[in-house]
Amino acid sequence: MTNHWIDIKNSDCILIMGSNAAENHPISFKYVTEAQQKGAQLISVDPRFTRTSAKADIYAPMRSGTDIAILGGMLKYIIDNKLYFEEYVANYTNAAFIVGKDFKFKDGLFSGYDPKTKTYDKSKWAFEMDKNGVPKMDRSLKHSRCVFQLLKKHYSRYNTKLVSEISGTPEALLLEIYKTYGATGAKGKAGTIMYAMGWTQHTVGTQNIRTMAMIQLLLGNMGVAGGGVNALRGESNVQGSTDHCLLWHIWPGYLKTPRASNVSLEAYNKKWTPKSNDPLSANWWQNYPKYSVSMLKSFFGERAAANNDFGYDWLPKVDDGKHYSWLDLFDEMYKGTIKGFFAWGQNPACSGAHAGKNREAMKNLDWMVNVNIFDNETGSFWRGPGMRPSSIKTEVFFLPAAVSVEKEGSITNSGRWMQWRYQGPKPLGNSLPDGQIIMELGERIKTEYAKGGEFVEPILNLKWDYLTNREYDPHKVAKEINGYFLKDVTVRGKSFKKGTLVPSFAYLLADGSTSSGNWLYCNSYTEKGNMAARRSQKDAVTGIGLYPQFSWCWPVNRRIIYNRASVDLKGKPWDRKDPVIYWTGDKWIGDVPDGGWPPLLTEDGKPNPKSKHAFIMRKHGHAQIFGPGRADGPFPEHYEPMECPVEKNYMSATYTNPTAPTYGTKADIYKTCDPRYPYVGTTYRVVEHWQTGVMTRNQPWLLEMQPQVFVEISEQLARLKSIKNGERVLATSARGKLECTAIVTKRMQPLQVAGTTIHQVGFPWCYGWRLPVTGKEESANLLTPSTGDPNTRIPETKAFMVNVIKL
Amino acid sequence: MKVNRREFIQITGATAAGFAVTGLGFDLSPVKAHAQMLKTKYAKETTTICPYCAVGCGAIVHTSKKGDGRVINIEGDPDHVINRGSLCSKGAALTQLTENSDRITDPMYRAPYSSEWKKVSWDWALTEISKRVKASRDANFESKNAKGQVVNRTTAIASVGSAALDNEECWIYQSLMRALGLVYIEHQARI
Amino acid sequence: MSKSFFIDTTLCTACRGCQVACKQWHALPAEETENRGTYQNPADLSFDTYKLVRMREQVIDGKLRWLFFPDQCRHCLEGPCQDVAGEPSAIYTSESTGAVIYTANTRQLDAAEIIEACPYNIPRKGADGTLAKCDMCNDRVENGLQPACVKVCPTGAMNFGERDDMLALAQSRLTEVKKKFPKAMILDPDDVRTIYMVGFEPNLYHESAVASAAHFGITRQAALRRMFRPFRNIASQLS
Repeated sequence: MTNHWIDIKNSDCILIMGSNAAENHPISFKYVTEAQQKGAQLISVDPRFTRTSAKADIYAPMRSGTDIAILGGMLKYIIDNKLYFEEYVANYTNAAFIVGKDFKFKDGLFSGYDPKTKTYDKSKWAFEMDKNGVPKMDRSLKHSRCVFQLLKKHYSRYNTKLVSEISGTPEALLLEIYKTYGATGAKGKAGTIMYAMGWTQHTVGTQNIRTMAMIQLLLGNMGVAGGGVNALRGESNVQGSTDHCLLWHIWPGYLKTPRASNVSLEAYNKKWTPKSNDPLSANWWQNYPKYSVSMLKSFFGERAAANNDFGYDWLPKVDDGKHYSWLDLFDEMYKGTIKGFFAWGQNPACSGAHAGKNREAMKNLDWMVNVNIFDNETGSFWRGPGMRPSSIKTEVFFLPAAVSVEKEGSITNSGRWMQWRYQGPKPLGNSLPDGQIIMELGERIKTEYAKGGEFVEPILNLKWDYLTNREYDPHKVAKEINGYFLKDVTVRGKSFKKGTLVPSFAYLLADGSTSSGNWLYCNSYTEKGNMAARRSQKDAVTGIGLYPQFSWCWPVNRRIIYNRASVDLKGKPWDRKDPVIYWTGDKWIGDVPDGGWPPLLTEDGKPNPKSKHAFIMRKHGHAQIFGPGRADGPFPEHYEPMECPVEKNYMSATYTNPTAPTYGTKADIYKTCDPRYPYVGTTYRVVEHWQTGVMTRNQPWLLEMQPQVFVEISEQLARLKSIKNGERVLATSARGKLECTAIVTKRMQPLQVAGTTIHQVGFPWCYGWRLPVTGKEESANLLTPSTGDPNTRIPETKAFMVNVIKL
Repeated sequence: MKVNRREFIQITGATAAGFAVTGLGFDLSPVKAHAQMLKTKYAKETTTICPYCAVGCGAIVHTSKKGDGRVINIEGDPDHVINRGSLCSKGAALTQLTENSDRITDPMYRAPYSSEWKKVSWDWALTEISKRVKASRDANFESKNAKGQVVNRTTAIASVGSAALDNEECWIYQSLMRALGLVYIEHQARI
Repeated sequence: MSKSFFIDTTLCTACRGCQVACKQWHALPAEETENRGTYQNPADLSFDTYKLVRMREQVIDGKLRWLFFPDQCRHCLEGPCQDVAGEPSAIYTSESTGAVIYTANTRQLDAAEIIEACPYNIPRKGADGTLAKCDMCNDRVENGLQPACVKVCPTGAMNFGERDDMLALAQSRLTEVKKKFPKAMILDPDDVRTIYMVGFEPNLYHESAVASAAHFGITRQAALRRMFRPFRNIASQLS
C-alpha cells in the first residue's frame, strides 16, 4: 500500500476491484465503513457479488480477466470529459515527456516485438532527450508525441460499447462507475483503490495495476490522504518477506540479484544505479552502492572487505534473461533437475497453480524439508490421492514450528507498518520458533563445511551470531537489519561511534564503514530503541490518522509515500481538510516528507533550484503514466486470458499477452474456446479460512462455518446443467478435476459478451485432501494453469476454463 | 510492555461481586459457567499481531501462569490503533490455532518408499538435513555458467517460504539460502 | 441499571467474528456441519451456538441484496421464557445488567414450553435437557468488559452499553440510514435489550427477526400477551 489501512477513512470514493476486502481483509471495513459514513461512495467490481459488494453503493459484474478493458474505458472517459487534474498531471507525472519516434502501436503490438523470443526491444520506447540528457518535455501536454497525447490516442479505442462487449459489464454501470470515480479528479478530492490477487493473478497482472495507477495519476490521487494505489497483501508478513526479498530476482531492500554479466561489484553497482542529469531529480536510487555494500557487510561481517569486493563473488549469480520464479521452479522440479527442496511455512501442493503438476514434481526430489505448524498436503504429498508411497523415493523431514504467539519478533503489515510482537506461552511440546530452526540448521551446515566441500567461503564466512544463551535472538537480527557503524565516522556533518546503530539510511556509506541488512529498514531499530514496539496513541498534527509513534513504517516512518505530490508547487496541500504535509516557509509539517527539499516554487512563484521533483524514487523524478520498463508494453493493453471463452480479442488482432510465459511438459495443457471447458473459472478465498487452509482447516470453529470446498454457479447455469443447490458436482479443467458442493446463487450472473452468454463459476482454494478427514475436499488449484504475468510471473489463477457437471 | 485498557465500559457499581448480589441462596451459574471471576484475571498478558491477513490487527494473549502455562484466551487489543479491539472470525479463533491437538510437536521423518512418518529428534533431523544439503549442493555446484561467467550457485536445491516468518527470521533465512548458492528462492509473494 | 445491545445490520459484513468470539469466550464446541449450498453455517442456533450470522440473498426492488442478521437472544425486558418458567433458579434476569440468564436448573423445566414461549425462537435444548442461549457475556459485563461479540466487531454493527445510550444511538443511526434505506426500522425496541436495525422488511432477513406468534404455543398466549405486538406499531415509535 502506498497509504495505509486507517487512511482509507479519508477517501471520498473507494473502488474495490480485484479484491474482496470485506472477506479477506475484514478489518479494512472499519475504515471503509467510516469513509462511507462521511459520504464516500463504495464501488465493487467483481465477477461475483461478494460480501464486499453487499456493502457497496455501486456493484458491477464483469468477466474475469477484462480489467484493463474496463479501466482503459475509464482512462478514456476521464480524458474525454476533462476530469483529470491537469496541474498535477503536467508537473508530477511524465505526461509531458516526449516519446521517441520509434514508439509505435499497431494491431495490439508495440514496436520492438520479437515473436521468436516473445520479448520486446524496449529501446524502441525510449524518451527523447535534450542536449543535457534530460527528457524533453512539453508541460502544455500538446506535443503530438508527448505521453499525454499518446495516452489519449491509445485509449481512444476503449469506448464503453466495446468495453461492455468485452467485459460483459452493462454500459450504464460502466458510465456510472466512470462518473463516480472520475469525480475524484477534482482538487481536494481523493479516490482510492483496494486491490489484491484479483488483479495480480492474470497474464496481464502488472498491467492491471498499472492501468489503475495511471488513473490515480490522472486524477491526482497519488500521495494524498484517502488516495494511493493500495495492494491489500494477503499474509501477515508477506510485505516484510518481500522487503527482505525471499524471491529469486531481488536482494533485501529491492536490490537486484546480480546477473552473470555483472562480473564485479563495480560492474554490478554501475549497472543498477540509475543516473539522472536533471538537477531537480532526487533520483534516490543513485545511493544504490551504499545499500548494496552495507548489505554485503551484514552478510559477511569482517570477512567482507574492499579488497574482496565485500564478498560479492560469494553470492550466487543468475543467468541474464533467464527466470527462476515459482512456475519455472516447479517446471524444473517436474523435469527432475531439482534434488533438494525446502517448503518452509508454505503448502505448494495446494497453493500453486497447477497443483497436480507440482505434486507430481515432488516425486522427483531426493529430499524435502517441510517446516510447518501442522501436517499438510506438501509434507505428506507421498501419501496423497493417487500416490503410491512404495514407489516414491523422496525423503521428507518435517520440522514442527512454533505459532506466532509463542515467539518474539516483528512483522510488516500491508501499510508497511513493522510491528513487534511478544512471546506468550512457550512453544508447544518440542516445536521451535522458525528462527531457532534456521540458526541451528545454519550452524550444522557450517560444521559440515568446516570439514571441506565445494566453494566453502560464503558458508564459512556468513555472519551467524544471532544467538543469546544458545537461543535465537530476534533483537540481534533486527539490529543487524537496521545496521551499525563499523568504525568511527562522520557522515553529513554528524559524528558516529563504532558499534552504534545507524539512525537512518541517509547515513549509510559505500566504503564498508556501515552495515545494514536491509537499507529500507534502516531507522527501525536505532539508539533510541526498537521503533516497531512503539504504542503511542497520539496522531500527527494533521489529524488524518497517521499515528506516527505507533509501531514504525518504511521508509523512515513515512506513512503515506509519494507525499510530495499531495501539495501544489508551492507546498500547499491540494486538500486543505486532510493534509498529509505542508510547507511552512522553512520546513515541512505533518507526515515525514519525501525528502526535506523545499517546494518546486518559492512563495513568489519562482522556480527553486534547491527543490526536487515529486516522485523521488523515479530516475527522472516523475510518476510514470508511460512505463517503458515493463515487459509487455509502456501502456496497458487488453489481451484475453491464456484460457478464455471468446475466439478473438475484440480490442485488437493480438489475442493473448504476446509476452506471457507458457510451459511445455506433458502436464502443461491449455484449452481455450474448447467446448469441453465452456465456463470461465476463477478462484478466491473466504474469511473463515486462510490461504490453503493449513492453519484453519485444523480449527473446528472455522471448519464449522466453511466445512467443504464449493463452486458458486448462477441459477441459470444450474438450470442448464440440472444442478440443485447443495448438490455435489464435478468441476474439470484440461489439467485436473475437483469434486465440490454447488452453491447456486443469484450472486453469480451470466454475462453477455460480444452477443454470447458467458457463464462464470468460482472456487475457494483453501482446501486440501488432508483435512477435513473425508479426504474429498481438494485444492481448486488442481484446475488452474501454469502460465502467468510476463513481468512478475505470478500465475493466472483468476481466469481459466472449466466444466461443471452433476456427479 | 504495558497494556493500557480503554475498553472498560461504565457500569454503576460494577464490581467482581456479580452474581452474589442476588442473594437468593441457590446456584445461579449460567449454563457451562466459567468462574464468576474472569478467567483472564490472573493470566499473563502479552500483545501480538494477528498471523493471518496483512491488516496487522493487534491482539492480547492471556497465558496461564499456572499449570502448563498455555493460552487461555486471545482477543482484540483495544489499544491497537488499527483494529481497536476488533477481529474477524479467524482472528477471534486464535486460541484454537495455538491450543490445537493436531499440532505436530516433534520432528518427523519419512524414509524413501516408506508409507509412514517416524518421530525423530531435532539433533538427528537437523544433522541429516545438513548432510543432504551438502551432498546435493556439492554434486551440483556451478562455478561458471555455459558462457564461462562466474555464477557460484546451485540450481539443484530450491526453497519456498515464507510470508509466515517474522522479519528477522526472513532475513537470516534468505542469508543462509543465498550463502548456500541457491537461486531458486521463492515464496507466497510470487503466487 | 439495564444494558442493551444495538445491532445495526446495515453495517454487518458477515465476517462472523462475533459468531466465533462467542464460541471462544464460552469455550463452546464446534458442530459438525456440511455445506448446504449457502455460506451460513451452522444451519441454526443450537445448544452449542448462541450467536449465528444469518445470511439471505434477496432481490429487493430489482436489486440484489445479501442480508446479514447476527442473531442472538433479545434479553427481553419481560422475558416470556422467564414468565413461563416461573422459576428464578432456572431463568432469571440479572439485576445489574438485565441479562436474561439460564442456569443449570433449566434441566428441571419443560424445555418445549420454554422454547415455544420465545417469540424469537432462541433457546435450545442440550442432550441432558438443559437449555442454553446467549448470556450477554454476563461475566465480562459484570467485570466492566464488553460482550465478546461486541468487542470483536470491526464495523460498528454490534454495539453495547447503557440502554438509554443504545436507544439514542439507534435513533440517530436510523435517521442517518433512512437516507440510503428508506424502509429501515428498529425492531421491537420497547420489549427487548437486543435492539436490531434493519434496512428492509425484517422478514426478508429472518422469520423471527421480530416477535412472532409463529413459535407460540396456544396455551402460552396468556402469559405472553404483553409481549406480543405487531412490529409495525413498535417500530413506529422510533422513526
